[in-house]
Amino acid sequence: MKPENELDSERLLERTLKEWRVEDPLPPAFREKVWRRIDRGEIPAAEGLWARLSSWINRSLSRPALAASYVAVLLMAGLATGYWQARTDNARVSQELRGRYVRMMDPYRMARH
Amino acid sequence: MRRAWLIFVGGLLLALAAYAGFYYAGTARCTGMMRSATPELAWLKAEYHLSDAEFERICRLHEAYLAGCAERCRLIDERNAHLRHLLAATNTITPEIEQTLAQAAALRAECQKQMLQQFFEVSRTMPPGQGKRYLDWVQEQTVLSDSHSQMHH
Repeated sequence: MKPENELDSERLLERTLKEWRVEDPLPPAFREKVWRRIDRGEIPAAEGLWARLSSWINRSLSRPALAASYVAVLLMAGLATGYWQARTDNARVSQELRGRYVRMMDPYRMARH
Repeated sequence: MRRAWLIFVGGLLLALAAYAGFYYAGTARCTGMMRSATPELAWLKAEYHLSDAEFERICRLHEAYLAGCAERCRLIDERNAHLRHLLAATNTITPEIEQTLAQAAALRAECQKQMLQQFFEVSRTMPPGQGKRYLDWVQEQTVLSDSHSQMHH
């Protein structure tokens, strides 16, 4: 059983809440904005770049088609970069060995360069 | 949420693995050449598509050529040292300087003759088409490489 003064304070709170009215007007298009944010799962800009990136990753990669495209593009980029890098390095090594062969065979050439 | 991040990181790792795999597979031949005892000859083998037997013969020819080449280089160094000594003692062309220059020129001609001989022998060891290609290239790089206009600059 609650003490008498506690019951009084509860009644007082109840009455105050019933009488309480918000008089400040809401910002323009407040309702639309709220629904838009809920719809998009929007995170306020104040949460920073990391949060936005995280949200973007979650949103984008949860769609199977986009996730598959993302993996495919990265795979192709890795293969292409590896191929071109290997090609460039092979050409450089080949050029170097070609020069070394000539210098080895022609001692006067070695002396001149 | 966790799945999206897994895909994100997995995609990056896959790209890295694809890059490394293609790069190492693509450069394996060149890396092998550089690690061989004679990278220049390994390059020759790859460039002119030589069989193991042809390559073996070319290696033997090459060893013999280099041995003779070292001896000729020693003689050239001797002549050059002698010429330097003579030039330090005079400001005119003496008969001895003239003779030393002629000897140096003869040595140079001998070197070029031996080098050409080596090129011909190597080209004969190769399959005919490759031998012709090798000869054209190596002559262009050595005996035919100095044009008259280059000599003036």
